[in-house]
Amino acid sequence: MSVFRFSRKQLGIPYALFLMFFVVAPLLVIIYYAFTNGEGRFTLDNLSGFFTDPNTIGTLFYSFALAIVTTAVCLIIAYPIAYVLARSNMRHKSVIVMIFVLPMWINFTLRITALKEILTVIEGNLAFHPFLNSVIGMCYDFLPFMILPMYTTLMKLDGTLLEAANDLGASPLQTFLKVTLPLSVPGIVSGIVMVLLPSMTNYVVLDMLYNSTYIMGSLIGSYFAAYDWHNGSMISLILLLIILIFTLFTNQYEDDTNARGGAIL
Amino acid sequence: MLRGIFKKLGIGLSALAVATGVAANYKTVNITAKSEEVIKLRICNWEEYIDLGGWDEEELIELDNGISILGEQTMMDDFCDWYYDTYGKRVEIEYSCFGTNEDLYNQLNLGDTYDLVCPSEYMIMKLIAEDRLQPLSEGFFDESNEYNYYINGVSPFIREAFETNEIDGKRWADYAAGFMWGVTGILYNPDEMEASDAADWNVFNNPEYYRRITIKDNVRDSYFGAVGALKRDMLMSDEFVNAPDYRERLAEEMNDVSPETIEAAQNLLQDMKDNVYAFETDSGKADIVSGKIAANYQWSGDAVYAMDLAEEDDVYLEFAVPEECTNLWFDGWVMLKSGIAGDAEKQHAAEAFINFLSMPENAVRNMYYIGYTSVISGGDDDTVYQYLNWCYAAEDEEEDTIEYPVGFFFTGDNADEDYVLVTAEDQGRRQLYAQYPPQEVLNRSAIMQYFDEDASKATNKMWINVRCYNIKDVALSTWLCIAAVICFIFAIVMKIRSGRYRE
Repeated sequence: MSVFRFSRKQLGIPYALFLMFFVVAPLLVIIYYAFTNGEGRFTLDNLSGFFTDPNTIGTLFYSFALAIVTTAVCLIIAYPIAYVLARSNMRHKSVIVMIFVLPMWINFTLRITALKEILTVIEGNLAFHPFLNSVIGMCYDFLPFMILPMYTTLMKLDGTLLEAANDLGASPLQTFLKVTLPLSVPGIVSGIVMVLLPSMTNYVVLDMLYNSTYIMGSLIGSYFAAYDWHNGSMISLILLLIILIFTLFTNQYEDDTNARGGAIL
Repeated sequence: MLRGIFKKLGIGLSALAVATGVAANYKTVNITAKSEEVIKLRICNWEEYIDLGGWDEEELIELDNGISILGEQTMMDDFCDWYYDTYGKRVEIEYSCFGTNEDLYNQLNLGDTYDLVCPSEYMIMKLIAEDRLQPLSEGFFDESNEYNYYINGVSPFIREAFETNEIDGKRWADYAAGFMWGVTGILYNPDEMEASDAADWNVFNNPEYYRRITIKDNVRDSYFGAVGALKRDMLMSDEFVNAPDYRERLAEEMNDVSPETIEAAQNLLQDMKDNVYAFETDSGKADIVSGKIAANYQWSGDAVYAMDLAEEDDVYLEFAVPEECTNLWFDGWVMLKSGIAGDAEKQHAAEAFINFLSMPENAVRNMYYIGYTSVISGGDDDTVYQYLNWCYAAEDEEEDTIEYPVGFFFTGDNADEDYVLVTAEDQGRRQLYAQYPPQEVLNRSAIMQYFDEDASKATNKMWINVRCYNIKDVALSTWLCIAAVICFIFAIVMKIRSGRYRE
């Protein structure tokens, strides 16, 4: 048995701690600033301002587009790798998995700096393809987060189910589509959650790869740099709500599939 | 130029520090003293903005007036020793750094207390206007005191600027002592860009340099450049340049924050955004040396630093100051009321620190280490001028030389024959030009004022509009693609669900 046996719940612990110390506690302060103006009086202007300004809505759109494309690319790259790793009979699987996780141990800014040079060699000039570069940078950064949960789920997949499908006359493709894929959905969902949400706000990648367009993270940062804590807090709050809704939705989906997995077994 | 490996390391580290973000760039150097009665001085300065010592022995600067300069330990350590030797009291310095003026201001608002900080002129104005600064004491301006290195050594040019500029009727000079100064301009690679193109704020919008030039990632510098570009024709007209009140009108035009100008600047910056390589704060220096870009918007001090760095790789960069106008800026030391809190001993130590940095040898050390230009000319002491000579005087065998007057800085009289450097011809476009711009460049300079709250709000809003993606820019075809993808996903989900029920 592998020493690296994460379950999705364990993967959630750092995030839960993060939530407690860095979101829940300052949340009240954020709410206070979000619903007050410069004079400390209650106002909804910050809220309505967000939804009426084409630039803030545009930023939300751009962040979503970037995050969704990043997640899709990560998924397409990561699933086959996770599948091959989990289903193969290699003896030192854990070492191979470690190699995939290894990039995470190298400082993130160093990695992106290296990537910058590589992309410059390939493209000639980084500034010609800002969106593409951002997607590549994000994927480079978040790929391990996509591989790990899917690998774990596929590892736990009961081999007897596959044998049964085979015995009952399913072709390999049918086995994959009808058994493996549905059973790996929880891992896919975890992976998506871990990649989609951070990539909406990770503006350091964009800054380092010279994408001059703001995403949500940089927008909030720029409001705070301009001493406008009220609008900055409101945008943080809206982003938090989006994340919350998304998390609730995926949690429900995971529970659903877990229940179904249990029923099959 | 003999700048050490240290600098190379420094540029990498500072690039890394900026990249790692706002909150992370916090360094603290603690100097502990054994005596119990110590004055604790909390200083907050720009990153990489003071001599931190550790020079190689071969970096020794031997000047013609017999003075040798070598930075062995940090300026802060040297100050503590000097203060003990001079005044017999122990000082302990808690030294930390900030990344931007706005970061510093936010830190102050969040309750960090410092005694002595070194923001730029507009932030000093803001702090004066908010009545947060402790005025410098009378003793600080006593020219008969030999330890008052600042008032005895500050350049007449800088002194005048600090005495004539004011906010709400309060003069800068009463609150702030200058540290470094400079102008803004375009650092360019002459192999790739014409000098005449570089001396024009419209260079950011020049399609010839599509994606090969960087602009500053902050609203004030970018706005200044945009206004200069917008008003080019007017600013360069004979009628305007020859007007008797040219300097006042120039300052007024460059500080124009009327809604029309802001809107025009927004449109122009949006065009520039689609033409430049990037909005950068620190990475431009490395990118121009490595050849990724042909030019970048640069502060004069960083330009000197980048030119020195490039020389080590045999790349010879030049610096141009746009013909329309340039931004004359200062960084200065100010004491905070909240930190000093009426403690006379502490204030004395803080003022002594400013004076210590203003000692000509120490001014040279800082200039050598960080590449910026000190406000100190030295008064009767010619160390600073000797340093200029040491850096820039033409070699004997040099054939192509020019005479470069710097008298305006040292004595206030540019015709002063004692202050004419004979230097290599290219220095008129390179380090010397950036470090001590000639008087005609300073004639077309304007100080960018502190914008009041409404103007700050309007310019910040403009900046956000420039940087954000406008939802109206999404093409119809993109919307159709998105709709198609959503339908496709929906169809798949439905199919899976219906399949499930069949099971």
